[in-house]
Amino acid sequence: MGFLIAVATIPGLIIGILCGLVPLGIGLRYQQLKWGIVGLALCALAGFSFSLIGGFIMLVFTTAVVISYAFVDHEDPFTSRASIEAVNFEESQLEFLMRQMAALGRTIRQSVRALIRNKAGFLGFIGILFFVGISVFGPLFIEYDGDTHVERLQPGARTLFQKPSSEFILGLDWKGRDIFSHMVHGGQNLIITSIEAGLIATLIAVVVGALAAMIGGVVDQVLSAIANFILTIPQFPLLLVLASILSFSNHFYLALLFAGLSWPALMRAVRAQVLSLRERDYVQAAVALDLGLPHIIIREVLPNLMSYIVVNMIFSIRSAMYYIVGLVFLGLVPLEEPDWGVMIYVGRQQGAIFNSDGASMILSPVIAIALFQLSLILFTRSLEEVFNPRLRSGL
Amino acid sequence: MGAIPFRRTDQPLSQPSLWSLSKKLLRAAYRSYIFRVTVQGILTLWVVTTCTFYMIRKMPNNPIEVKIDEFQTKQNLTYEEAKAKVAGLFDYDPDAPFIEQYTDYMGNLLQGDLGRSITTGRTPVSQQIAKYLPWTLFAVGLGLLISFVIGMIAGAAMAYWRGTVFDNVMTAFASISYGIPDFVIAFMILLIGGIQLELFQVGDYIGSVDPEIKAGLNPEYIRSLLQHVLLPVTTYVLASVGGWMLTMKSSTISTLGEDYITVAHARGLSQRRILFGYVGRNAMLPLMTRLAISVGFVLSGSIIIEYIFIYPGLGKYLFEMTGKRDYTTIQGIFLVTSAAVVISNILADLLYGVLDPRVRVGGK
Repeated sequence: MGFLIAVATIPGLIIGILCGLVPLGIGLRYQQLKWGIVGLALCALAGFSFSLIGGFIMLVFTTAVVISYAFVDHEDPFTSRASIEAVNFEESQLEFLMRQMAALGRTIRQSVRALIRNKAGFLGFIGILFFVGISVFGPLFIEYDGDTHVERLQPGARTLFQKPSSEFILGLDWKGRDIFSHMVHGGQNLIITSIEAGLIATLIAVVVGALAAMIGGVVDQVLSAIANFILTIPQFPLLLVLASILSFSNHFYLALLFAGLSWPALMRAVRAQVLSLRERDYVQAAVALDLGLPHIIIREVLPNLMSYIVVNMIFSIRSAMYYIVGLVFLGLVPLEEPDWGVMIYVGRQQGAIFNSDGASMILSPVIAIALFQLSLILFTRSLEEVFNPRLRSGL
Repeated sequence: MGAIPFRRTDQPLSQPSLWSLSKKLLRAAYRSYIFRVTVQGILTLWVVTTCTFYMIRKMPNNPIEVKIDEFQTKQNLTYEEAKAKVAGLFDYDPDAPFIEQYTDYMGNLLQGDLGRSITTGRTPVSQQIAKYLPWTLFAVGLGLLISFVIGMIAGAAMAYWRGTVFDNVMTAFASISYGIPDFVIAFMILLIGGIQLELFQVGDYIGSVDPEIKAGLNPEYIRSLLQHVLLPVTTYVLASVGGWMLTMKSSTISTLGEDYITVAHARGLSQRRILFGYVGRNAMLPLMTRLAISVGFVLSGSIIIEYIFIYPGLGKYLFEMTGKRDYTTIQGIFLVTSAAVVISNILADLLYGVLDPRVRVGGK
């Protein structure tokens, strides 16, 4: 199993509601009931679908937003414009935490506004939510149809394939099974594996790239040489050979393998960016002020890289999905139904291409994959605006 | 660098010793960009060959086992019977030590011999590659060329008329083209165009050429060739044109904002001269590098597209040979495709220096 879980479970819902009590409580305390309730709902939803990870992330986010509403006029001693005698530099740990949370909350609110304002990006966001939502909540309502249904054979038909009809809205596959149920149940593995692969690849790329740029010297040369070397070998053929060596019992290994092959391109870009950022005036100023390496990396360098990293992470997820579907389609990954890729593979094996009744078996997953990838691409436009405030004023 | 050469007085000037001469040569060679890059390239290829050599032999099953399996299922033989039958077919010994196989292979490789294919009647691998390579080169190369040219023109037009309806429509199209994976387009063409709407007979368009037409430079053969390459090329173009358009658009927009364009306008140069001589040339620069790099990946083609359209290119062949575990052939294809990438990367660097006089690689 990978580290992402996306199944709607009752324990998850309970975790989500428990997490949601925090923003609700804070909302009650500071007379921000409306945002407290929104926070509870979002936490419950996130916990319901992604269990502990989703619930906890949403807990932090919604709490920050609630606090940011409560502390609208809170004076930050470090940016206050009052005269130096009037500012109180003494603050307790709790006040410090509150101030930080309020700042985070304001950032989140601005990000959400930026996200909604870019129409194409928002469309992509809705598209991603749609597919993730169907994969997570669909199985609650639609039962998986895994048995052969000979009784559904139409009089006069030679195969069990069926065109979409009012009873089966996406038609039947070669065993007479409902394609719609396969679509609902089959996206989860693919989407999660792709996201995991993209996350790991980005993580490796950023860490290795930043290390290479920061340390320099021999380490830099060795890491760059490895990256260049991997870039030289054509990716898909290499993946083809590696996939047959490691027969995957588990999709997570597939994600790891993809990540291991696809980090170099982003790593080189991150390395170049860090090298150039290191020489900028504001970074030099931070160094001169002796603000410490963590501060320089987190507050000065990373925010300038963020939009680039996040956009590339989306591209990475996208190409992971391409490669995984490609491997499944060529029959190199053990086949587990239900899965969109397996539908394409089996559909082709069973002659769905040349059978006009069976086209739905291949077209449904193919169109779903296309729409999902399109949503990802559109979503990057919003992400650019969210993480790069300089772009916001333009539109 | 204008360092003053250190000269020892006890050596006559006219006769430099062999040692100092060779040292000078070595230093000059190290400074020479081409030499350095060539050495790097050869090193890379050696590592690629070694790694793939090891990896390929780590794959489960070997060519003999695969063939035995095939005989067992196809002709209902027992394992022993199948083994006896296979033993005469291949001259590959799976029990030979790894190091011995490796030194043998590398020895042959140094003499320019890629070895003989294990599973296809001992034909030389180079001959096999020469047989399948032109197909991929033709299809992918044509697709790359068409999409590059269209992307260039459309991207520049989008940047010139930015903000208009034309730009918005084209940008939407480009995003869709960029966002959708190529196999999706291939399936759409086959399933919707061919089967559902019956726009064309699928059988006439997949595969290589009509087997009944004699190969040669006669019009029927060329027609059949183009007809069968139509679907893969359309797929490649539709899948990659969006990327070129978007890159060209952003590159042109940033060029249009440069000071020298404003100056050119101020000097009263004709619109046409500004567009072609000033904007076009500069906007194309970053794309030329990308084109050169893409050319390197032409050879590895697209396994999936060739597989869907049953097109007899190198990618589909590699896939088949991976299934049969034909070690030498897989090895050869990897070597050739990696070499193409290495060479095109070097060319991309050199090309940039030629096209953009501001950046000359390697000194003078």
